[in-house]
Amino acid sequence: MNKELFCRCEDVTRGEIEAAFAAGHKDIESLKRYTGLGTGWCQGKQCVTLCARFITARTGEPPPLPITPRPPLHPIPMGALAGIATPGDDR
Amino acid sequence: MAPRRIDPSTLPKESALAQRLLARGEPTARVTISHDGETMEGVDGEPLALTLLAAGRTTLARSSKYHRPRSAACLQGGCDGCLVRVNGVPDVMACRTSTRQGLTVVSQNAFPSVSMDLGAASDWFFPRYMDHHHWMVSLGPAFNRTMQSFARRMSGLGTLPDEASPVLPAQRETVDVLVVGAGPSGVAASNALVSAGFDVLCVDEESRVGGSTLDDPGAVSMESLDARVRHRPSASVVATYDDGTIVQTANGVTVVTTRARLFATGCRDLIGAFVQNDLPGIYTVRAFGRALCAGVLLGQRVVLVGDDPIAGSICDAARAAGATVVHTRGARVREARGSRSVKGVIVESPGGDSVTHGCDALVVTGEVAAYELVGQAGAALHWDATRDTFAPVVNADGTTGTQGVYVTGKLRATMTDPAARAEDGRRVATRIARDLGRTKGEQ
Repeated sequence: MNKELFCRCEDVTRGEIEAAFAAGHKDIESLKRYTGLGTGWCQGKQCVTLCARFITARTGEPPPLPITPRPPLHPIPMGALAGIATPGDDR
Repeated sequence: MAPRRIDPSTLPKESALAQRLLARGEPTARVTISHDGETMEGVDGEPLALTLLAAGRTTLARSSKYHRPRSAACLQGGCDGCLVRVNGVPDVMACRTSTRQGLTVVSQNAFPSVSMDLGAASDWFFPRYMDHHHWMVSLGPAFNRTMQSFARRMSGLGTLPDEASPVLPAQRETVDVLVVGAGPSGVAASNALVSAGFDVLCVDEESRVGGSTLDDPGAVSMESLDARVRHRPSASVVATYDDGTIVQTANGVTVVTTRARLFATGCRDLIGAFVQNDLPGIYTVRAFGRALCAGVLLGQRVVLVGDDPIAGSICDAARAAGATVVHTRGARVREARGSRSVKGVIVESPGGDSVTHGCDALVVTGEVAAYELVGQAGAALHWDATRDTFAPVVNADGTTGTQGVYVTGKLRATMTDPAARAEDGRRVATRIARDLGRTKGEQ
């Protein structure tokens, strides 16, 4: 079908973003929480820019900030993370 | 026609691509892998995604919700297109994994097969979108539980690994300066800093230095990394905090403690918003270039849309390899055509005229700053309207508002010439050396 993907990882389409925007979610953070955009495998490496351009086109104002970049940059195995803790370290 | 391997001996000898491929020497060892039970040949050490593409596997995965066909699109670890199960481990990025003898590669999230997936019915039932978030909660908790269970079977990424991932003890390392990225700016900065007497660790996701010049068949060779720099190739910085940065390699992670962190992560290519922008056969310009430089031509009839510093070089190389290439400058993609892979494209000129081209590879342009890591490090971010991307707020000398966090190269500003990026790296290195030297003196 002729979908236009904003977020490939979570399969969020332009249609879904337009509906969310019409429902009052007019900033990136709200759009993310409403549609799941940017919460998939790549953590927003493509869709956040597309979403910002969409908001700019609709409102005339670019959003001030992207969704907060948080670790990890790529998903990593739990075993690799577990190796960081030292025995007895329960922080 | 599907992607195919390029025989360097058939290329025009004066072409940049021929020189690039012949400079690599004899093709390295051929190895055999299996994909969904079929065996195929690849070149030892090349990206697994290229082995699969060159063997004619254009659909590598299915999307999480609509089960739309997916394929490698960026070849730089920035999309979901090439996630496969390798040797019993799910969700492996095939573009970031090297082909080795005997790899067992299996597709995920598809029934009965990745090329013919019944789950794709959801794509047809919901032509615009499926609002599953509301469904799941609107009919009460019992229905929600049923739907959650259904959704878990229908979507998501892969299934659990064959064996629990082993706990690999983390290594610890202390350096004066951590440089993230081994492109022209990162290498030049590393060399300048190590010459000034600092301990430097340069971490990069590629197996060789060069950054985005590795994707340009026409790039002139850049300076090599000073042997005194600790080079960590094929490694990812996955997290960075004030008191440590986590570097991941195939052998586990290293926690690196630093006095200064320099981010030279450059840009990543973006696939813009247009109808069917997720079809297999759509590649970023640097993905297409990366394949060419590895001896793989990703399409026989190629349309390249838009402007990019390396677009001309990519077109020349693709033509030298025997492809027909249409390059439409100053235009944008309106729609990609095709059902299982790209068969054509509707291109819109600035005047609003639309032209349809047939193609088996669509190459798109548009770079955005790879700002995520420097954002994690605490640098302020903003929308850079001149570049149409989010980017860190950086001063001309590479400093950010956060102490000990610096930025150089394409991440900071548009710098099309690799030599200009190297110059920028040296300039920021001077500033870092001054800041660290002063701190040292005060101690």
